[in-house]
Amino acid sequence: MSVARRTISTPVILALLLIALALMAVFSGSRPFNQTIIDIFLRVILVVGLYIFIGNSGVISFGHAGFTCLGGYAAAWLTIPPMMKQTLLPGLPDWLMNLQLPFWAGAIFAAVWAAIWAAVFGKILMRLSGIAASIATFAMLAMINTIYSNWESVTAATSSVVGIPIVRSIWPYLIAAILAVFVAWAHSISRAGLALRAARDEPTAAAASGIDAPKERLVAFIISGAVMGMGGALFAHSIGVVTPDTFYLTLTFITLSMLVVGGMGSLSGAVLGVVILSGLIQGLRWLEAGVSIGTTTFAIPNGLQEITLGIVMILILARRPSGIMANSELNWTRSRSEDPGV
Amino acid sequence: MSQLSTDKLSVAFAGLKALSDVDLTIKPGHITGLIGPNGAGKTTLVNVLTGFQAPTGGAVSLDGNALNGLKPHQIRRKGIARTFQGGRLFRDLAVIDNLEVTGVGLGQSRAQARAEAVAMLDWIGIPALQNRIAGTLPYTDERRVAIGRALIGKPDYILLDEPAAGMSGAEAADLSALIRRIASEMGCGVLLIEHNVGLVLNLCDHIVVLDSGAVIETGSPEAIRGSEKVRHAYMGTAAETNLPVLETLS
Ligand SMILES: Nc1ncnc2c1ncn2[C@@H]1O[C@H](COP(=O)(O)OP(=O)(O)OP(=O)(O)O)[C@@H](O)[C@H]1O
Ligand SMILES: [Mg+2]
Repeated sequence: MSVARRTISTPVILALLLIALALMAVFSGSRPFNQTIIDIFLRVILVVGLYIFIGNSGVISFGHAGFTCLGGYAAAWLTIPPMMKQTLLPGLPDWLMNLQLPFWAGAIFAAVWAAIWAAVFGKILMRLSGIAASIATFAMLAMINTIYSNWESVTAATSSVVGIPIVRSIWPYLIAAILAVFVAWAHSISRAGLALRAARDEPTAAAASGIDAPKERLVAFIISGAVMGMGGALFAHSIGVVTPDTFYLTLTFITLSMLVVGGMGSLSGAVLGVVILSGLIQGLRWLEAGVSIGTTTFAIPNGLQEITLGIVMILILARRPSGIMANSELNWTRSRSEDPGV
Repeated sequence: MSQLSTDKLSVAFAGLKALSDVDLTIKPGHITGLIGPNGAGKTTLVNVLTGFQAPTGGAVSLDGNALNGLKPHQIRRKGIARTFQGGRLFRDLAVIDNLEVTGVGLGQSRAQARAEAVAMLDWIGIPALQNRIAGTLPYTDERRVAIGRALIGKPDYILLDEPAAGMSGAEAADLSALIRRIASEMGCGVLLIEHNVGLVLNLCDHIVVLDSGAVIETGSPEAIRGSEKVRHAYMGTAAETNLPVLETLS
């Protein structure tokens, strides 16, 4: 049996899980609940994008929110009505100023745009490995954030870029999340994915097996950059406004902690980490808003969700360092997968 | 004429001369033995031949073309494979996937790589191990899988770093037969590093003896067996592993 046939049940199960969430949102008829599920789908896209690189290469990246930033602003440039762009972003070149694409086309270009920059940065960064690579990705994030926070005429600096068409339908987000899952699966069972995991686990033997680790890391970096860019574009369409700090440290922390909790070495872990932690966060949001029992209202202080995320992440790291899924994948048979990458 | 050779190869680690002016030639279809006491520089030589260690002097050449500056994966793609003293399998992967990784590293599709991996396990005689997780294998099997992994893609040369370490007499005999087939059936040039000198004397056409980084003797098994210099080198270092060597030599 081919490796695709052997492992296809994993992305199928994950897609079914996401479809079930979408149907719940639709049938609930509740707008806030719909938005909650959209947020979950966005995080699935971002955390799966992160997994494509981190899970297969073993290099922790603190920089991927930078690709989300590139994608989010690309969506803004491509989809805000020209009239508004003229006042908000006067420095855009004419062809871009006069262009207005539908959101989905903007998202595709956003993915390509982020992938191009992933290729540029990755060309240099992917020669590094381990902690040096991680720190370099963080430097990349800081650079992107600084440029977008200062380039007034095309990014409005730290002011909000408003007027991004808001997409409220849940389906585009669902489709994009499922697409991200299948892209991650396809990469992980490809020769590039297998080679990269071999280089992650035993770099010396991988080199002696003909594997060019920096090249394979670069491939994963570009693909994950594209997924993060697409996620950034949809993120922008879900709230209608972007600032550089939308895509900075908080987002880095949230996506990384979800990946760590779910299990860095597992696609199923990436998706489940998002779903479980988002559920937890949502529960805490309700508590923050206050719960009335009889005549008393219990409310927990603001900011507790980040603290809780941190606590959960630390607990997982201490008790189950490879995360909930611990390098294994959901599949029909429950047989041990021959390649734990998927 | 096809050959892998070194010319006055030297490596120094912060003052320690691990190799000095080593000349060595490996030819397709032949088994060359490399012996010498612990710390003689045998692994260092393999590391230089496979691009893991840059020489401080001299050159490595393949069919007359210098390999200097090539990365390990590039050298592997030129048909020079190796195994490691410590095995270094991909421990979490199944045996079949360990072999598949090399095919993929050499540019094959996963389907091609898998087909060759299956055939290779058969050829080595360990088809039953196919789905075992590499990290759970006993030592002897680990060695065979490592050799199988190195043989994927039919390399022209294979450098074996102590493949018989820790094996019983019978296991070492099986391994000898396999190494002989690698040279005769595949036409592969083999460099065999071993502390089991009996095995080397038995298998090799030509033997090189290293001591403290320098070649102290080369020649046929008979010449090595009778060499006073070789005896002396092994006596100089009092390590326990040398006692059986001395017995074999006498
Ligand atoms: N990376 C390194 N840095 C410093 N010294 C090294 C390094 N690698 C090897 N050496 C030294 O070089 C010498 C040769 O080592 P090498 O591993 O090549 O010996 P060997 O013949 O393979 O020994 P053994 O039979 O024990 O495997 C030793 O003195 C060793 O300590
Ligand atoms: Mg050695």
